[in-house]
Amino acid sequence: MDTAGNTASPMYGVGAEFASAADLLRVAKEIRAAGYESFDVFSPFPIHGMDKAVQFRRSPLGRIVFIGGLTGFLTAMALQYIPSAVIYPLILHGKPFGFFAIPAYFPILFETTVLFSAFTAFIGLLMIIGLPRFNHPLFNWERFKGVSADGFFAVIESRDPKFAPAEAAEFLASLGGSNVTIIHED
Amino acid sequence: MSLRPDQKFDYRHVGYGFLAACALAVLAFLGLLIGAFLDVRQFAFSYLFAFVFFFTISLGALFWVVVHHAVDAEWSVGMRRQLENIACLFSALAVLFIPLVFVAPVLWAWMDSANAGNAVLQEKAAYLNRPFFWGRTLVYFAVFIGSAYLLRAYSVAQDASGSARCTVYNRRVAFASIVPVVLCVTFAAVDWLMSLDWHWFSTMWGVYLFAGAALSSLCVLVLVVTALRSVGYFQGVITEEHYHILGKLLLAFTIFWAYIGFSQYMLIWYANIPEETSYFILRNTGSWNVLSILLVVGHFIVPFLLLLPSFGKRRPGFLCGVAWWILAMHLLDVYLMVLPELHRGGFRPSLMDLLSVVAIGAALVAAYLKALGDSAIYPVRDPRLQQSIDLQN
Repeated sequence: MDTAGNTASPMYGVGAEFASAADLLRVAKEIRAAGYESFDVFSPFPIHGMDKAVQFRRSPLGRIVFIGGLTGFLTAMALQYIPSAVIYPLILHGKPFGFFAIPAYFPILFETTVLFSAFTAFIGLLMIIGLPRFNHPLFNWERFKGVSADGFFAVIESRDPKFAPAEAAEFLASLGGSNVTIIHED
Repeated sequence: MSLRPDQKFDYRHVGYGFLAACALAVLAFLGLLIGAFLDVRQFAFSYLFAFVFFFTISLGALFWVVVHHAVDAEWSVGMRRQLENIACLFSALAVLFIPLVFVAPVLWAWMDSANAGNAVLQEKAAYLNRPFFWGRTLVYFAVFIGSAYLLRAYSVAQDASGSARCTVYNRRVAFASIVPVVLCVTFAAVDWLMSLDWHWFSTMWGVYLFAGAALSSLCVLVLVVTALRSVGYFQGVITEEHYHILGKLLLAFTIFWAYIGFSQYMLIWYANIPEETSYFILRNTGSWNVLSILLVVGHFIVPFLLLLPSFGKRRPGFLCGVAWWILAMHLLDVYLMVLPELHRGGFRPSLMDLLSVVAIGAALVAAYLKALGDSAIYPVRDPRLQQSIDLQN
C-alpha cells in the first residue's frame, strides 16, 4: 500500500488508478452502490453519463442565490421606499408618490436583485467548493499529475461515514484499481 | 411509406368531439348573430378580443416553427408537427376575421366619417385610411398563411420521402419569412389594437403582443402534447426531458412578457406625455385597475414563482396546470387591450365576450382536429428526430 503526502497529518482519502473512461464509469456506479457518499472521480476529459453514475446530490446553491436575490430586492425596496415616501416624500409631476410610485423603483429593484444574486452565486460557489486554496491534498500523490493527460482516478474521501482505510483500499483494488494509495494532507 | 399506428392519429380518441366542436361553434355563432343585432358595439369589441386571443396563439406557433428551422433546433423535432398544425390555423382565422369587416367602422372609430374632421386623425390619414388598412390586412394573412403552409408542406413531404433536402428548403423558407412575419406582427398589432384609440401610440406595442403570443402558444403546445400522450401517442418520442425544456422556455417567456410589458409601461409612466398616458390612465382607474393588478400578479409573479424551482418543470401534470393558468391570464391580457376602449367607465362583462371565445375556440378546435389526422403525428423521417429522442438536459 503506497502513501502520499505527510503521514503525520490527517488522512484525506484513498485513491486508485483505472485503465479507461468506461472503467471509471463502471467504478463510479460500484462505489455509489457500495454506499459511499463522499467520493470523486477524475479524468482528463468529461465523461458522458458520469453525472448519472455518481449521483451527486443537487447543489444547494440555487436556494442560496434565491435568498440572496430576495435580500437584494428587499434592500432596494427599503432604500427607495423609506426615503421617498416616509422621510422626504417626493411629490412631483402630479404623479402618485410613495408606494404608488413603484414603477420608478423597478429598475433599481431589478438591478439590485441581479447584483445580490450574482454576488451570492459567486461567493457562495467559492465557499461551497472550498476555493481559494493553495494546494489540494491530491497533488501530494505523484501519479495524480497524469490526470491532465491520460490518468483516470477514483478517490474515496475520509470524511465519508463509511470510510475505513484498509477496507476502502481493498474495495478499490477489487474493482480493478491499480496503484492504490492512501493520501494524506500536507 | 405507410405509418405505424402510433404515428397516425386515430379519430377513435376524439369520438364525437369533432362534431361537438362544430355544433358548439355553430350555436355560439348563432348567439353572436343575435347579439350583433342587439348591441353591435359590444359584439364588435368582444369578437375582436376573442379573435386576437386565438390569433396570437397561432402566431406564436408560427414563430416557434420559424425559429426552430432558423437555428436548426434538435430538441423540438418531436413536437414540431403539432406546432405546424397550430400555425396552419391561420387559414381558419382568415375566415373568422370576416365578421370584423362588417363591423369595422363601429370597432375602429377612425373609419367613422363623424371623426373625419379630427386634427390628429388628419395627420395620421396617410396610414389610417380604409384601402391601405384592408390591403395591409390581406398582406398579413397572405404572409402568415404562406409561411405556415410552406413550412408544413415541406415537413409533410419529408414524411413520405425522408429527404434531407426538405429540411434545407424549410430553413430557406424560415429565413425568408422571419422579417416579413415580424413586420406583419408589429403592424397587425398597430392596426387592429392600437388604432382602436387613434390618439394613442406606443413603440413597444408589437413586441408586447408578440411576447404574449410566444408564451401562450407554448402553453397550448404543452396542453396538446400532454393530451396526445394521455391517449398513447409520442411513446418514447417526447419524454420528461422535453417537458423540462418547455418548462424552462415557459419561465423565460413569462419573464420576457413582464420585461416588455413593464418597459412599455415605465417609459410612458416616466415621460408623462398625455397622448401616451391615455391608454394606461384608462386601464388604471376604477375596476379596470383591479384587473390590471391581477394581470401583473397572475401573468408574471405567480407563474414566475411556480416555474422557478426545477420541481415542477419535469412533471407533465404540473406544467399543464401552469399552462392553463397562463392561458387564462393571456385571455385577460387581450381583454384589457380591447374592452376598456368600449367600457370606459369600468369593467362590464358581457355574455358576448364568452360567446365569442367559445365560437372562435370551438371552430379552431374543429379545424385543428381535422388537421391532426391529415399527417403523421410527429415528423417521422426528420433527420434530427433521433437527436430529439435522445435529448438530455
